[in-house]
Amino acid sequence: MTLEDVRNQFTDPTPADLQLIARYGELPDDARRARAFEAFAKSGLPNRRMEQWKWTDFRAGASSLETSSGKANVELPLPDNALLLRFDGKRWHLPEKLPTGLNVFEKTEAQALGNAEELPMAALAAGLTGHPKSIDILQVEVTASIEQPVFLDFDFAGREMAFARIAFVVRPQARIDVIEQHRGGAGLSSTIIEFGLQKGAQASRTLLQAGGKEEATAVTAAISLEENARFKQTALGFGAKVARIETRVSYNGPNATASLNAAYLPAPGYHVDFTSNVWHGAESCTTRQLTKGAVPDGGRGVFQGKFHVPRTVGQHTDADMQHKALLLEDGAEVFAKPELEIYADDVECAHGNTSGQLDETALFYMRQRGIPKAEARALLTEAFIVEALATAHDAVKDALNEASRNFLRREG
Amino acid sequence: MTLYIRGMLKLDDLSARVGEGDEAKTILNGLSLEVPAGEVHAIMGPNGAGKSTLSYVLTGREGYEASAGSAMLEGEDLLAMEPEERAAKGVFLSFQYPVEIPGVPVMTFVRAAMNAQRKARGEDEISAPDFIKKAREVGAKLKIDADMLKRPVNVGFSGGEKKRLEIFQMMMIEPRFAILDETDSGLDIDALKTVADGVNALRSPDRAMLVITHYQRLLDHIRPDKVHVLAKGRIIKTGGPELAEQLESEGYDGILGEVL
Ligand SMILES: Nc1ncnc2c1ncn2[C@@H]1O[C@H](COP(=O)(O)OP(=O)(O)O)[C@@H](O)[C@H]1O
Ligand SMILES: [Mg+2]
Repeated sequence: MTLEDVRNQFTDPTPADLQLIARYGELPDDARRARAFEAFAKSGLPNRRMEQWKWTDFRAGASSLETSSGKANVELPLPDNALLLRFDGKRWHLPEKLPTGLNVFEKTEAQALGNAEELPMAALAAGLTGHPKSIDILQVEVTASIEQPVFLDFDFAGREMAFARIAFVVRPQARIDVIEQHRGGAGLSSTIIEFGLQKGAQASRTLLQAGGKEEATAVTAAISLEENARFKQTALGFGAKVARIETRVSYNGPNATASLNAAYLPAPGYHVDFTSNVWHGAESCTTRQLTKGAVPDGGRGVFQGKFHVPRTVGQHTDADMQHKALLLEDGAEVFAKPELEIYADDVECAHGNTSGQLDETALFYMRQRGIPKAEARALLTEAFIVEALATAHDAVKDALNEASRNFLRREG
Repeated sequence: MTLYIRGMLKLDDLSARVGEGDEAKTILNGLSLEVPAGEVHAIMGPNGAGKSTLSYVLTGREGYEASAGSAMLEGEDLLAMEPEERAAKGVFLSFQYPVEIPGVPVMTFVRAAMNAQRKARGEDEISAPDFIKKAREVGAKLKIDADMLKRPVNVGFSGGEKKRLEIFQMMMIEPRFAILDETDSGLDIDALKTVADGVNALRSPDRAMLVITHYQRLLDHIRPDKVHVLAKGRIIKTGGPELAEQLESEGYDGILGEVL
């Protein structure tokens, strides 16, 4: 297919789409690359006319791509013993020594992406990574339990656009802890993180996303779990002009469990979207999901959560989805869509979705004790958020709580 | 300061309306009262008389603003201050219905409160070891165990535990002027005694207290210097401790009938 053909697949390309097509044209031909990019071409940058993107519009958020100037000043400390894998906006940088049980492969050609049609931003990243010269895809094989956390540092500063990809294959009974820092810095960016957890494997994922006010960024994770595998995710998102943090979990073997916790704190002018989709494709799997957000005037939070439990394979599913939002001020915006699609009959599935304001009687009680109003608001909000971050990796939990505290103090 | 030492708290013709629009009602209607430093006064009155309303007006709760009159603490206009400023000046309220603060442990909360007050007064913060030592001592006096102090404020506490925690906070904060709003309700005899001991331990020449109660039994343990009866939005009668006994035997109807 010529570049002309590719361009013709876009019904109404924006200047940003054209920039992306041009980038595509610079890369070597590859059937997997073409499939991914065509999946992206069906929609172009996702926009509000698409059901899954009605609240998070990348087309409007990135109409043309420029280097982002504003950078969020939230940073995680690098834990002492961490293995640092840094992505500088163009390529990965690896540590000199890796522990036994951890093998890292650099990929110089495009890799296939499952569900590409449903994940346009991930399809874009899949279509534009696999560069022959600059290593933008890593594959990590974990064959033992690694005590040191792997720290993924995504720093796109100074780029118009950035695309990165990393996949973890965790062999049976092995374990890995991953900490991710998404600092943003590019006008448009999209990152794919994949976890393949084999029998009895375990992985944890703790992530901080804090982008600038001029950027549109997507972080898409796809997790597949085999029998008895365990996955634990904790995310704190401050957002960007547009930020989408999307997680797809697929159970492929029985008795696997996943917990998905998230907190969102978008400042005025920031947008953060947590979208997730859990496919209970095997019996007796357990999902626990808790998402909490606190939003000031001018901030915007989105939660879209879906559990899908098929009739034939989803028996004895145990799944719970909770979303709780605090609207800190008039003008705060929260959009939530929890969805349970349950076709199996012998299951336990529950969900809750609430949004409200800070408790005025509690605020008065605190002020009566001498705590100033702003401080009282911050304390109450912090106490609300802290529950969602309780599952974070110990090495960065305090830093995440501090980041949320600083945000709330500033907003108070 | 000495100028005002006689009337630590001085209320003049204080009126307050609560509720909004057509629902608005006058609850306090020209209430005057003076509590000198060093004294403990009791306020008694029938249900719905406005006792809690008075405590909220004095502490600055939203929706309980004074519509007329004045409330001065040591010569300063309380009504012009934010709730936290009043607290830093030394006003403390033991709530009739203590409030739950999910996720904030008692120790964190009380320390934040003490330090916020100290900061507002330009004083140094209390050090962590000093704070813990004091919390242990006060906790022991009130028979509050360390576990309770680690739990979120009032969450899952029994009625009696909540009231004891109010007194715990009062003894930690050591306010200049304390209002106890029906601290006795929900307490069994032993707990009542413990709480009264705590209150009595705080009696001092430069501190005053207003004890709001329904029953005389708390006043058997805390002997007030004066007893005021609040009805019809104002103090309709003031007397010594014997007035509480008279109320106990004759009921409010007797007193009200006598006055009106
Ligand atoms: N926020 C409020 N809105 C409307 N009415 C109120 C409010 N607070 C108190 N009241 C009314 O004011 C009156 C006095 O209440 P309160 O001060 O609680 O009495 P007490 O403490 O003496 O029992 C009652 O009739 C009560 O219903
Ligand atoms: Mg009352």
